[in-house]
Amino acid sequence: MIMKIERDQRRFRQIVRGRIRQNLRKYVTHGEMIGRKGRDLVSIPIPQLDVPHFRFGDNGAGGVGQGDGEEGKPIAKGGGEPKDGQGSAGSDPGGGHLLEVDMSLEELAEIMGEELELPRIEPRGNASIVQEKSKYNSIRQTGPESLRHFKRTYLKALRRQISTGVYEPDDPHVVPIKSDKQYRSWNTIEHPQVNAAVIYMMDVSGSMTDEQKQIVRTEAFWIDTWLSSQYEGIETRYIIHDAVAKEVDENTFYHTRESGGTRISSAYKACAELIEEQFPASDWNLYCFQFSDGDNWGEDNDESFKILGERLLPIVNLFCYGQIESPYGSGEFMGNLQGRFGDHEALVLSEIEDKDAIYESIKMFLGKGR
Amino acid sequence: MNLHQEFERELNSIGSGATTTLDVDAAPRHLYCDIVERNTLAISFNELRMTTSELASVDPEKLARIGKSLAEKLTYLMEPINPIEFDAQGCVVQLRSAPPQRDDDGRSYYELLVRGGGEISLRRYRKDNGDARRAIAATVTREVLLRLAGDFEAALDELTNRAVF
Repeated sequence: MIMKIERDQRRFRQIVRGRIRQNLRKYVTHGEMIGRKGRDLVSIPIPQLDVPHFRFGDNGAGGVGQGDGEEGKPIAKGGGEPKDGQGSAGSDPGGGHLLEVDMSLEELAEIMGEELELPRIEPRGNASIVQEKSKYNSIRQTGPESLRHFKRTYLKALRRQISTGVYEPDDPHVVPIKSDKQYRSWNTIEHPQVNAAVIYMMDVSGSMTDEQKQIVRTEAFWIDTWLSSQYEGIETRYIIHDAVAKEVDENTFYHTRESGGTRISSAYKACAELIEEQFPASDWNLYCFQFSDGDNWGEDNDESFKILGERLLPIVNLFCYGQIESPYGSGEFMGNLQGRFGDHEALVLSEIEDKDAIYESIKMFLGKGR
Repeated sequence: MNLHQEFERELNSIGSGATTTLDVDAAPRHLYCDIVERNTLAISFNELRMTTSELASVDPEKLARIGKSLAEKLTYLMEPINPIEFDAQGCVVQLRSAPPQRDDDGRSYYELLVRGGGEISLRRYRKDNGDARRAIAATVTREVLLRLAGDFEAALDELTNRAVF
């Protein structure tokens, strides 16, 4: 039987989900509103939401205000004329109260999928990657106290006491000794699963501003959230480039600024090498997301297209190129890419003019269901 | 007569009117200006370009120094220009208006390239909302055009002097 509190809690979660769905565009656009809480949880501020509270019943007759006294007679002590307080009332409207709710990334991905109408991804290939998992399914005589199996330990102690005649039914104390103690233990199980590798590439040349990088960070968060909900195992790699490319960690990816020129071919080369060395296409579902202002040095286009056409597009599930408009709006790479590979099924192009365009861009990237 | 003086003489010799090209040579420097319109006060040009063999084998560090020097000198254009990208591999310094000029329909900016092969060139671009960028004519007074030519030369002179010392 479901308790009333559980029903209320479920109803509250539904209201929260509804509000998040309603404001999803805002959360997607302003990714900084969402705080990360550990690996699997996020904290989301929700405006204008009534927090559940106790409501008192009338308890039949009687109650406060039912006794002697005239109507309007003040109850509080010293109820004289109201006095002026210090200072004056504010003139600006209040910002409203924000309620922060915790939500799992999986739940967030589910809402995003529903709202953006994203198709479920159909993984390519077989589940040929073997993942090792620990399963607590055996018992040992030794182990840490935190893993002691109380029930088995008790039963063994009881059995020993009965067999040795120590147990007294009138005084049923069961005291385990060292040899009675039983501990939970694990076995390593090999579990085949379909895995995905996500490779982010970002142009960090002098023409990319911090604002453009923030757009990349926001978009990458939502892409990660969706892909993680679709695959059991996700490996993420980051490549930055100006005229030269290198693999970096996530923090460096978002906080590096170089002054070099833009050579996109360097990133494609690093990406192709990374895939060939670590993520063979026969075993992995491969996703590449590239972000740049598209201001590639003209003579580099041919080299870029060569690597993309020969070493990347034939093996990836999806190659997404997001062109983030620079203050100069001078990016021409997307147009060139469109002209060269526009009809390739694995290629998705998106022009991201500003933060408001992130929502549609994500929809475009993930809407293919590949 | 140096390149700057020669350029001034050529510029004074042309009257008001339509398109013309100024091509001034004072070895090893060569100045080219593609003028699209001119009158007594102002000149509109597509490109102002100086080529020289002095930059033919210059190392990337010196090239970056020329870019910086030009950014410091060219403070009289509609927008200040700053080095944006420096491609050591291709030996090119790119300077642009920072920030570009914005209006309701788009933005415009100067782009100055210093190439290791031996070229300094200035162009103006416009990017209308929703369209690709295109080169447009830059309009400046005669004095500003002369000053630009002079500063291109001065930046090269600095490099030559540094090399001597």
